[in-house]
Amino acid sequence: MSISAPRYVQAPVARVGRTSRTWSIVQREIRRRSTWGPLLAMVLTWFIITLWTVVSVFFTSLVGGSIRAAFETPYESVIWNLLMLIVAATVGAGSLADDIGSRSITLYLSRPIHLTDYVAAKASAIGIWILIAAVGPGCVAAGVSAALGWASVSDALAAVGGCLALGLVTAVFFTGICLALSSVTRRSLYAGVAIFGVVLSVTAAVSVISGITQNANLLYADLTSNTQSIAEAAFGLPSPYPTDPAASAAVMVLTGVVLATLAWWRLSRIEVVGE
Amino acid sequence: MTGVVEAEAVTKRYGEVLGLNGFSATFSEGITGLVGPNGAGKSTLYRLLAGQLKEDAGRLTLLGYPAWGQGEFRRRVGYCPESPALFDWMTGRDFVTTLLRVDGFSRSEAADRSARALEEVDLTADAHRRLRVYSKGMRQRVKIAQCIAHDPELILLDEPLNGVDPVGRAALSGLMRRLSASGRHLIVSSHVLYEVERLTDQIVMIANGQAIAQGDLHRIRDLIDSRPHVIDLESPDPRALARALGGWDHVVSLEFPAPGHLRILTRSPDSFYRDLPDLVLREGVTVKAVRSADDNLDAVFRYLSEGRR
Repeated sequence: MSISAPRYVQAPVARVGRTSRTWSIVQREIRRRSTWGPLLAMVLTWFIITLWTVVSVFFTSLVGGSIRAAFETPYESVIWNLLMLIVAATVGAGSLADDIGSRSITLYLSRPIHLTDYVAAKASAIGIWILIAAVGPGCVAAGVSAALGWASVSDALAAVGGCLALGLVTAVFFTGICLALSSVTRRSLYAGVAIFGVVLSVTAAVSVISGITQNANLLYADLTSNTQSIAEAAFGLPSPYPTDPAASAAVMVLTGVVLATLAWWRLSRIEVVGE
Repeated sequence: MTGVVEAEAVTKRYGEVLGLNGFSATFSEGITGLVGPNGAGKSTLYRLLAGQLKEDAGRLTLLGYPAWGQGEFRRRVGYCPESPALFDWMTGRDFVTTLLRVDGFSRSEAADRSARALEEVDLTADAHRRLRVYSKGMRQRVKIAQCIAHDPELILLDEPLNGVDPVGRAALSGLMRRLSASGRHLIVSSHVLYEVERLTDQIVMIANGQAIAQGDLHRIRDLIDSRPHVIDLESPDPRALARALGGWDHVVSLEFPAPGHLRILTRSPDSFYRDLPDLVLREGVTVKAVRSADDNLDAVFRYLSEGRR
């Protein structure tokens, strides 16, 4: 008779697929960001944009004019970009930085998931938050305006479509910025400051330089110009801006995708070492 | 027999600093202790095994797979990092369940396994509390729970007993022994030899990024014991204590480093610890504290490292 040590074999268990595993990270990340900062930014955005849109539509319905233009009014403003920037910075700054700083990224990446899944999950979580902030108020305002008879159903639906188109482009753009800047630091505060700093300084610099050089092509690097141009087109209005809306949308989406790819590249080279 | 983990001349640099310096060792089945002083390279090795670092040179495999990367074989590996950082906004139950979901378990399966793992580490009562309010020992235990919840074949525990109270240590040691008895392989690191000694006879000693000794603990102990050990004693009457100890063969020297303190050098610490209680009772001398300077293994590792040069 011989005695041998037991050999452990994992019991076969049905495992969910890669998408479900990634989605579980998205869910946790969305919940994780449900803190005072992001929620306050979200409430502020919803309150300002919804009220602004509803009031604008109401007065337009009284005095006459383009209802679609009334729906579009807030999105043409610098304030909308600023609100999106606040939401993005509060939601996205810590997305990767927190995990890198605390080294809890190790807990995820020592599991059978790919770095691509991890970054995609983080991107999705940020994107969903920004999308809710970008699209939600417009949808509510459209619903309220249609319900109260200030706007026709077709105008309200067009407004929802416009919000969705602009919201998607904005979400991709800001998600990319958040991921890229959150991947280069271990502190979410630095990432947050960097998100504000980079966006505002590039916007200001481009405005000044394009004004001096009278080169309209430079405006494609200006967030406000791009957003205004896309908003006009998304709401079905003739654009008075020098930038082409399709090109503006392409620039913003491409910027977001490239920056997200840079974040992935950065993480693939980062090594989670001790403080 | 090939090892569960095999390292061949693994080198890892952090810029100018060498984390591992040609580390070669074979970790066999069952429990293997990885013992070394702080800064020896234990956590670097664990991060390499967890796929979080890539070796600069050499070859490192676990369960036959290259350690670098996030392949599906990771399902067969459980990793408990030394870092106390957790997802503080989660409850203990959420934490374990979330990581099980990332492992690919369905929602209900993850919930069941999470409950079982938390029970194993005696955290069921605190499972609903947020991790930010957990004590250091509880954090250690919840980290171990996430590490074993998916029934891994190979379990990597980096300083698992650090910060755990004596009762918790005994319970976790029992858990490790049970896991090993069921056929799983464990690599348990510690900077305290005596901690690992209670778990296993198989150890790998690491210092300055190199494996300085590996194999059966008793052989390594013999090696260590061939060198005199320093033991500090605290007593209201150190001279009386010195007189009593002076007759012991294995005591090489006695000195009084400070009032109320006696430092002895012994060739047989095991005999010393075994016979000291009898001596105290027989001679009526008072010993307020016993500290082995060699409990901090720095000295031993320095000795072994020097022996290799």
